[in-house]
Amino acid sequence: MGLVKEIIDGSKTLLSGMKVTWDNFRKPPVTSQYPIEKIEMSEAFRNVIVLIEKEDIGSHDCIDCKACERVCPSFCISLDGERPEGLRRKRATEFMVDFALCSDCGLCLDVCPTDTLGYSKVHDEAGYHRSDFLYDLIEPWADKEEAARKRLKEIEAKQAEERAQRAAARKAKKAVKKPSRKPSGAR
Amino acid sequence: MKTDIVQLFDNPYLALGATIAVIMAYLSVNAIMLIWLERKLSARIQRRIGPQRGPWGLMQQIFDMGKLLSKELLTPAHANKLLYVIAPIMVFAPVVALSSLFPITRTYIFHDFNIAIVLILAISGINVVGIFLAGWGSNNKYALLGAVRSVAQNISYEIPLILSVIPIVMITRTMSLYDIALAQSAYPFVLVQPIALIIFIIAATAETNRAPFDIPEAESELVAGFHTEYSGMRFGLFFFAEYSHMIFACALATVLFLGGWHGPILPDAVWFFIKVYALIVLMMWFRWTFPRLRFDQLMKFAWVVLVPLSLINLLITTLVLKLV
Repeated sequence: MGLVKEIIDGSKTLLSGMKVTWDNFRKPPVTSQYPIEKIEMSEAFRNVIVLIEKEDIGSHDCIDCKACERVCPSFCISLDGERPEGLRRKRATEFMVDFALCSDCGLCLDVCPTDTLGYSKVHDEAGYHRSDFLYDLIEPWADKEEAARKRLKEIEAKQAEERAQRAAARKAKKAVKKPSRKPSGAR
Repeated sequence: MKTDIVQLFDNPYLALGATIAVIMAYLSVNAIMLIWLERKLSARIQRRIGPQRGPWGLMQQIFDMGKLLSKELLTPAHANKLLYVIAPIMVFAPVVALSSLFPITRTYIFHDFNIAIVLILAISGINVVGIFLAGWGSNNKYALLGAVRSVAQNISYEIPLILSVIPIVMITRTMSLYDIALAQSAYPFVLVQPIALIIFIIAATAETNRAPFDIPEAESELVAGFHTEYSGMRFGLFFFAEYSHMIFACALATVLFLGGWHGPILPDAVWFFIKVYALIVLMMWFRWTFPRLRFDQLMKFAWVVLVPLSLINLLITTLVLKLV
């Protein structure tokens, strides 16, 4: 009788196994045709850093503060910049990242004061040499630099105007408040 | 009622040639399509997409065939050349020879043979010899091990296979496949012989060396088993043979248990092929579900479970036939 029970139990497990494959058969495929179609990487995906476009500038907003260069634990960022004529801020002229050294820690993104650093969504780089992973982050923005500087000038002019207005407003406020503070001021 | 296509020709050699041509053409196209079907099915079961070249990936098999045809035919050093060359032919030829016996429609049949079942069970055993020659002739330890396993397995599973066919012969009192199919006009024999059908399907899966009984070619243990050393179209012939054996076994099960061409509305041939391909899909489903058996489990299953079960089934059938 042990054999009969074994046969019945075995048949049941066979059927449940076939149900598993049937269930999976009905579900849609989870793979993608990789070289033909590229998958969208998730928000949390980390790879080499890139400069993110700021909408009002029409380009990146790297001000060559070197905060990322200093915070980087792997010393993979090297930055250089200049102050263009008539601008308050500096502009980066060179931003090299050696991705071969990078550990994707994300500290550079955290310290960036203008939030212009982000992760690239590219997931399939490959190269024959270490130098293939030396990324120039400024180069893709080179042709937009001229326009960006022009717009930055406008923005900065506007900001300066606002600042002046605020200062004037503060002064006016002070002037109004002055009489009430006279007793202490008189002494 | 029925016409033997073979007898339509005046010249018997012409009839033979025409029959072989039709069957070879069908089996080749069928093998290519079944490989495509199997790859697509396995892909869906594993939640992949599967072959993608051409519409629905159909061109993939054509390209694969082109690759196999254009590859060099290598013969390993110290191989027994004669055995090595004839082995794939001996594996493939029995299927071609036996496919002409199947009644696909009630009006036309290639050749109706009055002891067809004996012929089928006898000649389909030749493919074991072919597999053993392949393993022996290629002078490779993996191939030899695979061949040895294959022979043990095929001989063991031939017994339950034959024992599951005998009840049908006892019920119909004929060995002609046409008459057996004709006898199922009222109901298919699966209703009276369900256990025989199950045993037949299991034994046929083992006879065709398909998973979970694929230990002769166990990829993880024996490289590719008996066809390890084969390349090009000789390997392609083994590949063809596997799928041709599948359709052969499923066609036999259809004729014996599922009523052959019988079915409502649709034409005869359509019903026949619907049943055959349903069984083939079932066998593919087995392959992508069940893990491979260990060798002792395989033998135990054949001799401790299948043979006694089919004997009991035979005994009950005999008693019922005697009493009714």
